[in-house]
Amino acid sequence: MEELLEKLLEAVEFGKVDKKSPYPPQLRDMDGAHELTIRAIETGIKPQKILEEALIPAMERVGKKFAECKIFVPQMLMSARAMGSSMFQLKPYFASGAIKTKGTFIIGTVKGDLHDIGKNLVSMMVEGGGWSIVDLGVDVGADKFVEALKNNPGAVIGLSALLTTTMVNMGEIVANIREQAPETKILIGGAPVNDDFCQKIGADFYAPDPQKAVEYLNRIAS
Amino acid sequence: MKKHTITLHPLGKELQVNDQTPLIDVLHEFGIEFPCGGKGTCGKCRVRLLGGEIETTPTHRQKIEQLGLGTDWRLACFSRCTSDIILEIEQFNHLILADESEFDFTPGEGFGVAVDLGTTTLVAQLIDLSSAKVLAVETMLNPQVKFGADLISRIQAWMDGNANEMVQLIRSAIGTMIRLMLKKHEVELKKVTIVGNTTMQLIFSNCDVSSLSSYPFHTNDLGLKSFDPADLGWNFNVQENVQFFPSIGSFVGSDILAGIAATSLYQKEDYTALIDLGTNGEIVIGNKNQIVCASTAAGPAFEGANISMGMRAVTGAISSLNLVENKIVASVIGNTVPKGICGSALIDAVAILRELDQVGMFGEINSGAPQISITGKVMLTQRDINEFQLAKAAIAAGLTILTNQLSIQPAAIHEIYIAGGFGSYINIGNVVATGMIEHDPSKIHKMGNTALIGAKMFLFADRGPADQILAITRHINLEGDPNFQDIYVDKMLFPI
Repeated sequence: MEELLEKLLEAVEFGKVDKKSPYPPQLRDMDGAHELTIRAIETGIKPQKILEEALIPAMERVGKKFAECKIFVPQMLMSARAMGSSMFQLKPYFASGAIKTKGTFIIGTVKGDLHDIGKNLVSMMVEGGGWSIVDLGVDVGADKFVEALKNNPGAVIGLSALLTTTMVNMGEIVANIREQAPETKILIGGAPVNDDFCQKIGADFYAPDPQKAVEYLNRIAS
Repeated sequence: MKKHTITLHPLGKELQVNDQTPLIDVLHEFGIEFPCGGKGTCGKCRVRLLGGEIETTPTHRQKIEQLGLGTDWRLACFSRCTSDIILEIEQFNHLILADESEFDFTPGEGFGVAVDLGTTTLVAQLIDLSSAKVLAVETMLNPQVKFGADLISRIQAWMDGNANEMVQLIRSAIGTMIRLMLKKHEVELKKVTIVGNTTMQLIFSNCDVSSLSSYPFHTNDLGLKSFDPADLGWNFNVQENVQFFPSIGSFVGSDILAGIAATSLYQKEDYTALIDLGTNGEIVIGNKNQIVCASTAAGPAFEGANISMGMRAVTGAISSLNLVENKIVASVIGNTVPKGICGSALIDAVAILRELDQVGMFGEINSGAPQISITGKVMLTQRDINEFQLAKAAIAAGLTILTNQLSIQPAAIHEIYIAGGFGSYINIGNVVATGMIEHDPSKIHKMGNTALIGAKMFLFADRGPADQILAITRHINLEGDPNFQDIYVDKMLFPI
């Protein structure tokens, strides 16, 4: 039983989606996250345990390696895909309430900006950290964030931007959210953003990489 | 008669000259200025002798000493070519391409000026319209560089209240370049054609660029702009007018329109691609029926930005790397101690490290070390390799998405031209080895400054070809493609 979770952890950490997936070469022809998750459920391992003892620690390792430049975007994306194939099997248990997440994270690339790879990586890492995700996509204005917050009271907000000309829109969105729900926690990220800018616009946290976002969320959730 | 070879750095040009040719005659063609008229008093035409010999007279030595220059310096105005020599041109301490390619034209009358208004560099040529001969060249750094290197920072500067200054700076810089050429050749100008990217066009034309700052990146001002020289603050006459050629889309300008004309891909039956590796990387694929084009964010890494020891192609930069008996051998501009690495050598470095299996298919340094020594003190860090992956994936993904847009197979692309400053120095085999261009190396050709070649063609042809190209060209937003992320991330890997 423990061995199965260890294998799943390894499959997700190294991005082995399913048995037929050629990546990574060292796990060729072995079961991937898809098969291992099905087997874990069949064996009777609690879905909450699968999430907490395989998926979350796997994505934490991935996030740390990415922050240390030990792996890059392609490997992170493959791990995220492996996690996704596992999550897909766990979906019914999330819906039934058999799995409890740490909270809800609403994320979007801000108005005027269409860059979504960075946003997607953060979204996948936060999901792998045990959170529910509401992804609003790209070119998202304040109204959409406020509306999503109404549907998910108490959720944390994440704002992403890649351009110096669009990061200014973060300020307007933060102000709008503060007006509607002053206690909402807002984290920001993206290439042109930094701590000073975060303080200037009154956001709560600047995450320089996806793992820092996960760590911040875990701090405020506990 | 005896011939000698002169190699010019950092231009990378080689030329053959007769024995005893005065350097002033040769360098004049490359836009080198001789402000004091060859008296040896100003020292502006100084060149550094990196290889070979230039004999000096006592007067010449005295002038060099008076100017406080070292023994490896010469004044071009006092020098003659008596052996094969390698020169570093002080006035070219930034990389500029002044093209001298031949092209088809219908002879006209009078004189014209063609201008390539780049984000970083400006090049202007004075052309005899009866022979297409280049009479004079002027090159200059774009004075707007002080507002930032890339387009987004220029747009930001415009919105921050620098609009008037930016318009005046660029108009006056180009006016100055043309005036300098007219000083050397006192002729009456018939017309001036300018090409440049969309942002440069809008700024020169004093049109608002703020709509290019964010999605949907739309502007209504793409069309051809005509000016009266007096309205630009130019105090010389132009018989017809000054024309800034039309842009294709928000981030693909008339420099690419000119490139399409220069490669004549719009007249060909077979599909041809053009990749312009400038500050902004643009890609075009098409034939006589349809053309698609897009811009990518590939440029900065190739210009040394975001690379820890990256630099432009100036003295001290490693310009190329070769693998000789499993050892990395570096060519350094100026034959000095290497200080950093420029774009062309960055490609070489990654290709070689892959070949030596020091870097894996995901870009990871196999030893687990945070960096790899290339040569001497020059290192590539893990982050540098990742930056390179982002840049090369942008080009490879752009080519793939445009190929898909045309519903053709990659093999249907017959020829690929690489244009732009840095494009002239790259090793095509290594470009293919890194997966930046996934095509047979024999199909890939370097073509120099296609924007300037096209601008010259427009001097002769007027609007005809430009309108013909615009009618069949579509501008594609790469990130709007639903498969962009998957393709882009996939192209970050190295071929096995």
